[in-house]
Amino acid sequence: MAEPMSQVVASMPRGRFVALMTLFLGPAVVVYTLFSIWPLIATMGLSTYTTDSSGAYRFVGLVNFVTLLTDSVWSKPFWNAAWNNLIFFCVHMLVQNPIGIALAGLLSLPGLKLRAFYRTVIFLPTMLSVVIVGFAWNLILSPLWGVAEGALKAVGLGSWFAPWLGLPSTALVTLALISVWQFVGIPLMLIYASLLNIPDELIDAARVDGLGHFRIFLHIKLPLVLPTIGLVSILTFVGNFNAFDLIYSVKGALAGPNFASDILGTFFYRTFFGNQLQLGNPTMGAAVATVMFFIILVGVCLYLFIVQRRMRRYAF
Amino acid sequence: MFKQRAQTAGVQLILIAYSLLAVGPILLVVMNSFKARSAIFGSPLSPPTADTFSLIGYMKVFHASLIVTYFANSLIVTLVSMGLVLLFGAMAAWALTEYKFRGSTALALFLSIGIMVPIRLGSVAILKMMKAAGLNDTLTALILVYVAQGLPMSIFILSEFVQQIPKDLRDAARCDGVPETRIFFEVIAPLLRPAIATVAVFTIVPIWNDLWFPLILTSSDTTHTITLGVQQFLGQYITDWNSVLAALSMAILPVVAIYVVFSRQLIAGLTAGAVK
Amino acid sequence: MANLRIDRLNKSYGPAQVLIDINLAIDNGEFVVLVGPSGCGKSTLLRMIAGLDGATSGDIYIADKLVNALAPAERRIAMVFQSYALYPHMDVRKNMTFGLKFTGVAPAERERRVAEAARMLRLEQLLGRYPRDLSGGQRQRVAIGRAIVREPDVFLFDEPLSNLDAALRVSTRVEIARLHRLLGATMVYVTHDQTEAMTLADRIVVMSQGRIEQVGKALDLYYAPANLFVAGFIGSPAMNFFEGAVETASGGIARVVGAGFEPLDLPIAAVDRGAKLTIGVRPEHLRIAGQGLFATSGVVELVERLGESSFAHVRRTDDKMLVVEVRGRETPGVTETVAFRAPLQDIHVFDASGRRIEAKGGD
Repeated sequence: MAEPMSQVVASMPRGRFVALMTLFLGPAVVVYTLFSIWPLIATMGLSTYTTDSSGAYRFVGLVNFVTLLTDSVWSKPFWNAAWNNLIFFCVHMLVQNPIGIALAGLLSLPGLKLRAFYRTVIFLPTMLSVVIVGFAWNLILSPLWGVAEGALKAVGLGSWFAPWLGLPSTALVTLALISVWQFVGIPLMLIYASLLNIPDELIDAARVDGLGHFRIFLHIKLPLVLPTIGLVSILTFVGNFNAFDLIYSVKGALAGPNFASDILGTFFYRTFFGNQLQLGNPTMGAAVATVMFFIILVGVCLYLFIVQRRMRRYAF
Repeated sequence: MFKQRAQTAGVQLILIAYSLLAVGPILLVVMNSFKARSAIFGSPLSPPTADTFSLIGYMKVFHASLIVTYFANSLIVTLVSMGLVLLFGAMAAWALTEYKFRGSTALALFLSIGIMVPIRLGSVAILKMMKAAGLNDTLTALILVYVAQGLPMSIFILSEFVQQIPKDLRDAARCDGVPETRIFFEVIAPLLRPAIATVAVFTIVPIWNDLWFPLILTSSDTTHTITLGVQQFLGQYITDWNSVLAALSMAILPVVAIYVVFSRQLIAGLTAGAVK
Repeated sequence: MANLRIDRLNKSYGPAQVLIDINLAIDNGEFVVLVGPSGCGKSTLLRMIAGLDGATSGDIYIADKLVNALAPAERRIAMVFQSYALYPHMDVRKNMTFGLKFTGVAPAERERRVAEAARMLRLEQLLGRYPRDLSGGQRQRVAIGRAIVREPDVFLFDEPLSNLDAALRVSTRVEIARLHRLLGATMVYVTHDQTEAMTLADRIVVMSQGRIEQVGKALDLYYAPANLFVAGFIGSPAMNFFEGAVETASGGIARVVGAGFEPLDLPIAAVDRGAKLTIGVRPEHLRIAGQGLFATSGVVELVERLGESSFAHVRRTDDKMLVVEVRGRETPGVTETVAFRAPLQDIHVFDASGRRIEAKGGD
């Protein structure tokens, strides 16, 4: 409902109003546009150029994209990275969200003892830098130190141990699980807040209706929390593109072993900056960034369309 | 009744187990950073005793790296960015909520695009811009980028808080003839203090822990932030377990300390923001 | 028999005792209202009956069965909540049948019950709608419908009218009374509004600070309140109180004197000289310069004119305020000094601890 403009504001001379708006909105809009929006557009623009060793730029249209997606020198690592990104995302959805939901459900049980303690402790890893987390787990899982091996041996699962981070087949999933370990706090908090939002009387009514705790969770709490789970999913989706930090700190820019842990973020970094195997290529880097942008755009649009429409259903 | 007790016990067991999983690795790292090398490998799971206690790793870190500089850099960048995000964001949130003009909705939408789209994708152009402006390898470059990154979310959160402020206060000030700018700075802004916790959670942590932009925008050792500094130190001294563990612990402990002290406000801020 | 009995019920939260020695017996088909100010424990008591919270000590019997250890669903009760507590993600029909599914009622039977309840509450057109599309009054009817389909022994209502606007409150109140006559069910109803209590209840339970102050029919509480609290709580505007003491007491007559009224000879026995008493008279029982044992006067400060009856706010000689109901067009003017009288039958006497003392004899 639009509020009528106050008389004071409406009677302000136009010049003054513009000056006022410039003062209030100027700084934010300028910084945001300059360093957030403009670089994005410039990058997309740059992706339509190519450059050579002399530093001159030549307009080539969509050639870079064609190369990226089809030329095997580029497309193989690109699709590899894209596929890995998908696996990374799936591991998060399959592991992080159910754990987050379950923990949120447990933490929101009425009369739970030590609730504040658990909440603080379980959210702790999310506060840490990814570098720390990556390295700490690298050490723990390292066969040299033997802590993980020892812990598994203690529960009789010693035979399970392998240098997971070093094997091409398991490196990516291991890294994904480390990321889940760190970031489960976010879906946990968001879903927890959502659960708290459910009026107590609703739960009481369900108890009077004859539902036990588990059924209440399944039939009442979960459906009402679904919009938040949708939000968590899209945040995970977008956030996974930033997983560069973790992979880089554990595996370096080459995302080994043998590019098994390469995701689009590391691929972008390598393409743009180069490394010991290749020279930096800003235009191809820009192309990779543009592709990533469109992937994210599609994901966000899907979210806004599907989830946001359903969200209107559950007003209290 | 018995079923109740068993259920409660089961719940507590699960939560304790997960808490151990969450905190265990951190405790392990910190504990072992205070031990001599032989004890780290010999008995990794036991805390340092009088025999095994050693600060050799920490001394190495202080000598071989500019860890204090890194810390100071991170502090400057984070605090200045936070301050600017709050100031610019509050002004923008106020203007967009209070003064509806043609295009204000479009502007609000424009500003909220940044919530979903990672700013990193524009890094190619950002680096070019910084180089052209002579800001390459400065803390200023980081601050500008982080402010741009933090504005959309904070404007979103602050708008919600601004809407909660009773309109009567603004009307009373207007009746008294107070100019609009003063209304914002002296009436509205102080009332946004509760919002600081929420904005802080969403802004400070990503900035402090960020690896990407320091990596791309800073090249010399003296401009590194603590995240980048520690990462490079780790890469360099990877076989020196004492130093590595000490560096990790030094990066962990300040964050944990602040977190434990402010955990209630932090979590309240996060849940308040989430509810919106 | 869907009766309800509560024996020596106590509830504490840590050091705070919120229910103290509650004893109550409710007959099959009775409509009992628990009324009292905020924090008196009425909602807590209701929740204990429902089984949503456990008691610290004491027993609750529903239909002659001890239910202390039983979950709410096993107690054969149904509850209507203050905020309706309708499941937002289910339509009206689903809201009403949801609980029945889990207590093993067959689909055909569920349908029958829903149709019956919908007919009773005029909800037939709304069965496919969602709670967010209903008005407050409609939502409340759905909440009541959800309770009806459970076919409980006891209906529990937790301040169901508090969230409705004034006009809706009156019509829904009538609806609930009608329902009670129709179903003949045992109902326990919690409210802070004494008008609701007076109009709906077969018997009223007045509570204060965790205790039952008095149980009785509406008019019994009105004409013979057992203590100072009940006297001041029931009746609107509230009863006027005057502090006094016994000057002399002999032969069954006590002369009571006090700052706000003329000396009074009351036919009360067993009081000592010097005993402190409180005299109570309702605003509607004071007449301007009429006949009566009790006499007081004061300066009129304000007259609230409501039509046929008006309320005069008078500053008494002991500097406290007196409220008097005046009927008809002629009302005293402001700053006038007016005298009021009341007959013995309308005088209430309370001892120093607040308990009622019987004043025998006519005027």
